[in-house]
Amino acid sequence: MNTLIDELKQLIINVLDLEDVTPADIDPHAPLFGDGLGLDSIDALELGVAIQKRYHITLDSTSAETRRHFYSVANLAKFISAQQAS
Amino acid sequence: MNAPDQVNSFADQRHRISDIQQRVIARGDSGDLLAGEFQRRVAGIAGCLLQRPEQRWALVCDDTLWFAAGFLALAQARKTLILPQTGGPESAAEAQAAAVLTDQPARFPSFASVDVTAVPEAGAPVSTDLDDALPVEFYTSGSTGRPKRVDKLLGQLRAEVTALEARWGPALGDALVLGSVPHHHLYGLLFRVLWPLWAGRPLYAPACAQAHEFKAAARRFGRCLIVSSPAFLTRVADFAMLQPPDAFAALFSSGAPLPAATAAKIAGEMGRAAIEVYGSTETGGIAWRTWEPERGQTAWQPFAQLETALLGATPGLLRVRSPWTWKADWMDTDDLAQMLPQRRFLLCGRADSVLKVEDKRVSLAEMERRLVAHGFVSEARLLVLKGKRNSVGAVVVLSTAGRRQLEQAGTRSVRKALMDWLRAWYDPVLVPRKWRFREAMPDNAMGKIEQAELQALFTERR
Repeated sequence: MNTLIDELKQLIINVLDLEDVTPADIDPHAPLFGDGLGLDSIDALELGVAIQKRYHITLDSTSAETRRHFYSVANLAKFISAQQAS
Repeated sequence: MNAPDQVNSFADQRHRISDIQQRVIARGDSGDLLAGEFQRRVAGIAGCLLQRPEQRWALVCDDTLWFAAGFLALAQARKTLILPQTGGPESAAEAQAAAVLTDQPARFPSFASVDVTAVPEAGAPVSTDLDDALPVEFYTSGSTGRPKRVDKLLGQLRAEVTALEARWGPALGDALVLGSVPHHHLYGLLFRVLWPLWAGRPLYAPACAQAHEFKAAARRFGRCLIVSSPAFLTRVADFAMLQPPDAFAALFSSGAPLPAATAAKIAGEMGRAAIEVYGSTETGGIAWRTWEPERGQTAWQPFAQLETALLGATPGLLRVRSPWTWKADWMDTDDLAQMLPQRRFLLCGRADSVLKVEDKRVSLAEMERRLVAHGFVSEARLLVLKGKRNSVGAVVVLSTAGRRQLEQAGTRSVRKALMDWLRAWYDPVLVPRKWRFREAMPDNAMGKIEQAELQALFTERR
């Protein structure tokens, strides 16, 4: 799980082209959007596409579920590993 | 067809709908909301508003259903309806709201406010007759470097919804309305809220953040339609998941022109061409176009109720007149156009200094003015950075206080403070993502700041 969390942090930085942010700066439990890392609606779309491509999973959930999965790096890691296991 | 006829026929339809208490207003992850309950909610809020002396109310709700209820309640209570640019107190203050109707009262400690979620439902729905002369104020970016107030009347919104329903309603049936755009700007307000409410089509309250949410909603609720924008649609990897073509009654896109490649991709993969709508906050909807296998994107076709004219030589400034322009009179757009046969036209770019970044209208002069108002900033220049996504870049000369903060707490702390500051007025998509802090603005021998030199600051990573 920790490897996945580190991988996701790096993926976020690369895909979203975040300047002056290192993996250590991203708290895995802090919100990705709004007050936390401050990502926006376009980041959400690009992150969704990148995760499907990288982890060969198909996103298929309602708006409320998606909000939960994409809330933080830790939630994303939990979601991805559950998808890969199934 | 003239405007009064449209509004009257629409009112008849509305009365018929209001009798059907069992109609589904909204479908959601936690069940359906029926018209009877929704109208009691609206009546409760309207009753509460009628007891209040304030006339100018900002409506700020994160939840689309509370927003819809608040909108109708303010209209029933005959209050001036203000839709600020963003959901923060700064935008409400700038719009000179006397009070705020909101589902987020904690955000407005310095305002008189009513929490829509805390108002008891009324025992019975009251009359849904609304006053077409009621003022509704929108705020958007203008070319003067100040936020621009756009005045409308409720009747204009109703006339526009009537035209949308006349054009597309029969093909849409009772499709569930899904959307990825905010409900407090004109496009979202009309397409995601007022059109479904007034035409009797159910709406799905959460704004969809990713394309698969459309698929999940269609699987769960049946036939849907989508209200989206180029910023969203250009980032969808695969439209084939939105098959079969019957699963979606329509896909609307507005906010900016859809790139031709995206329009072709949607038609090819989804089996249904997107309907693009061109308009602005000031003018409302003007024209629509779609994509055809042989011709690609068609020229813009004005709505049947709307007249167009050009000011000046071709391409000239496009002017429009419709039942939903102010006093049904001629209005200039900010766009250049070229006329074609059969009322169609091509768009040839904007005529002013307002830019669009990922479909969002922004005045860089206005944002520079706001940045300089922060204590950390002495000078600021903003520019649009093109790339995989377009964004705003900021070149800043810090004040003494800003330099002190930079030395003590680092670049990230200064950048975060300035980003948080701008978020009060701007959609997060518009807040600068890249920052360059300089001792002085790069200028040439004539003392003029060159765009190319500003751009160069962003081409290499430090």
